[in-house]
Amino acid sequence: MASRRRFISGSLGAVALGGALPGFVREAAFAQALPAAAGTADPANVLVVVQLAGGNDGLNTVIPYSDDAYHKARPTIRVTATNVLKLDDRVGFNPALAPLNELYKDGQVALIHGVGYPNPNRSHFEATQIWETASPTRPVSTGWLGRYLDRLERNPDGTNSFAGVTLGDTVPAALLAQHVDVPAIGALNAFQYNTGKDAASKAAAGTLYDGARPGQSPYLQLIEDTARAALHGGDLLRGKIAGYKTSVVYPGDAFAQQLQLAARIIGSDLGTRIVFVSIGSFDTHAGQRSQQDKLLGFFSKALVAFYKDLAEHGNARRVLTMTFSEFGRRVGENASSGTDHGTAAPLFAIGGGVKGGIYGQQPSLTDLDNGDLKFATDFRSVYATVLERWLGRDAVPIVGDGFPHVPFV
Amino acid sequence: MHLDTSTDPQVGYRPPGTLDAGSALQRYRGPFGKRHAAHLARRAGFGATPAEVDALVARGLDGALDAYLHPAEAEAALPEYPDAAVLYDNKKKYQATKLWYLERMLRTKHPLAEKMTLFWHGHFATSMAKVPPQLMVQQIDLFRARALGNFRALLLAVSQDPAMLIWLDNRFNVAAHPNENYAREIMELFALGLGNYSEDDVKAAARAFTGWMLDKNARFVYNEKAHDQGLKTFLGRTGPFNGEDVVAVIVEQPVHQRFICRKLLEYFVYSDPEPELVDGLAAVYALSGYDVAKTVGTILRSNVFFSPRAYRALPKSPVEFAIGTLRYLGFTAVPDDMPYWLSRMGQDILQPPSVKGWDGGPLWISTATLLARFNLVNKLVGSPALALTPDSLVAAAGGMNAENVLETIVAGALQDDVTSDVRQTLRDFLDSKNAAVPVPLGPENYQTKIRGALALALNLPANQLA
Repeated sequence: MASRRRFISGSLGAVALGGALPGFVREAAFAQALPAAAGTADPANVLVVVQLAGGNDGLNTVIPYSDDAYHKARPTIRVTATNVLKLDDRVGFNPALAPLNELYKDGQVALIHGVGYPNPNRSHFEATQIWETASPTRPVSTGWLGRYLDRLERNPDGTNSFAGVTLGDTVPAALLAQHVDVPAIGALNAFQYNTGKDAASKAAAGTLYDGARPGQSPYLQLIEDTARAALHGGDLLRGKIAGYKTSVVYPGDAFAQQLQLAARIIGSDLGTRIVFVSIGSFDTHAGQRSQQDKLLGFFSKALVAFYKDLAEHGNARRVLTMTFSEFGRRVGENASSGTDHGTAAPLFAIGGGVKGGIYGQQPSLTDLDNGDLKFATDFRSVYATVLERWLGRDAVPIVGDGFPHVPFV
Repeated sequence: MHLDTSTDPQVGYRPPGTLDAGSALQRYRGPFGKRHAAHLARRAGFGATPAEVDALVARGLDGALDAYLHPAEAEAALPEYPDAAVLYDNKKKYQATKLWYLERMLRTKHPLAEKMTLFWHGHFATSMAKVPPQLMVQQIDLFRARALGNFRALLLAVSQDPAMLIWLDNRFNVAAHPNENYAREIMELFALGLGNYSEDDVKAAARAFTGWMLDKNARFVYNEKAHDQGLKTFLGRTGPFNGEDVVAVIVEQPVHQRFICRKLLEYFVYSDPEPELVDGLAAVYALSGYDVAKTVGTILRSNVFFSPRAYRALPKSPVEFAIGTLRYLGFTAVPDDMPYWLSRMGQDILQPPSVKGWDGGPLWISTATLLARFNLVNKLVGSPALALTPDSLVAAAGGMNAENVLETIVAGALQDDVTSDVRQTLRDFLDSKNAAVPVPLGPENYQTKIRGALALALNLPANQLA
């Protein structure tokens, strides 16, 4: 949406870079949806993106247990070889990922080693922007998933209201688009205009916003557009998902509840192609083991429930879940039993349509760049793979040229 | 409908129009009516009731500014601390601490100090996700005590604040194993901005802050043995620097002065302020010796602050929206479920999403957050604690007359900032002209109808804008 795409430029110019951007690069406007890439991607495929916010430590997620350098670098926070859930003779999962390991054994988990990009950024904010906009060297105003949504065919009524959804209260940079306003569904029961028994008041609210006029502040247009989408979208969403039932009992934590809602939305004929969910607090500068293990436990238990639910409704094969985090963490632990901001890390692709196994190169723990891992696979290669092989769209205009596929789908 | 702005030279959410840089920060000498007074009250405080707006107008511009900048009235008798019994109750302490803070914002007689306290809370964003509530209370009290004081002193105090020492791990920062977390964020987020320092500056600052730790009673302590006494080169200067030196060097940087002034302009005036405006304010700030009161005072007295471009040019933050709505509706206490609503609106007070604080601006506005704003209002107008009742509105309107009730609401809540179409829809709602069964406003339905109209007015786009 026009007014949203201004945000990144304004925000980076004002806050992050400390000045107006000289020669700020604007993206070309894409007036029409581009044709799908030639390929065999099923048009019903769905991508669920899971953000591990805060910088998930890759080396304690997928542990290079046979490498002495790992144990030397992390005398306090290492996972000992006996506790690792071994995937091969070199690496294994953190024991908190035991539920995920079951999916791995079923061939439904692809592990891609050492994902990163050149000249890595160690600021949470900047690095998150880089991953979400797929633009490491210059600020751009749309996200990689937003650019994908801009390229979807329009529905006959001119809306694609639920093609992309985020299950949180704010829209992440990844989903900022030029022509599509992505609904932010923080909680289902809150996603409606609620006036109790007063139906007249609710009807009048619709009339007020439908008849509103743009004013002087650029924010006014944004508020009016968003309010209209909210007033009408809430009822549509609730109507569609009302009939969805599952026998799967999800854990009670917020992340699991988000995935449960994701399964309902995906299984309810809303035309949803992209779902964005986030689990936070991976910024483990101190006391890492208890914190990260707890979070990885939430993550893997919720995912297993999610895939059970999807399978129960015949959706497991058409839903690909992909993780990302703004950075991995330093190889060496710090003095507070934690780790500081680092660089490359593994990511996961999960689902019935995934070719399970290990992809890419585990970065060396001794050949380092300033104490940090050197990346082996550019994250845009992963995005390009998903866009072309899973979502059936040409990746070049979305993430750029020259990113070879990783054949996990 | 989506506008294509690909050829629009405007960047960000700066309002349209041009800036007269020469006079922008000069003293405003124009008229001061209800709209001006309400504008000042929204920006320098948390909004005003119609009676408070009238009182500000009666004081005149200088008197009204004085009321914010130098309040003569003693601060309200506010709870000093959440109930000690509650603070040791793990189930209640977070909620109680949030309500303690919100209660202060609702009842304060020194709204500008409280508004700046909220600014510093977002700026030095620290969270109860990691820091015990007692220490968060201490940090908020620190922000309030220094809200309009000297920035260098504030930055030093924050660097020694127990909540911050926990939040960004400096309590673990020792010479043998420097922890860079605080050193990085003081530059990136608190004082300089990205791109204005190098990774080597981060390492040097981390060494300078070594030994700034906590004692066993969670009080700041300088641990000399853990401090790196060596020479450091930081932002081009070399010396055996400690944390105080780092703070002093940082505030001397012109990039710092612009960084903090840009943030103040974005908080008080409009988004993406022109570089000339930022430079002008930075000069005021530097000349004042980093005096926040003088800098903020310059903003609030200025032509640009009272210009049409600044009028309703910022989205209200959820806290501004919530407290402003409570004040207008006459609530004398913050409802217990307000922390829940703030979280739904995207501003979980005392629990910012990260050290970066709340992104704000356009990211305050999503389908989910707007629905939360609407539904909060819909709930508040039906609350038994509502002081602006249908009866009081009928009395203020001089009788059970839809037209007069409507005018009372749009004047009091929105300073008449509504189009004639919107007025017509609200009038129709009160008189049910478009309903299948027309029922004019009357004794049997005025309770529901007036509460409904009040909610609709507060849910208008104009009321989302400060």
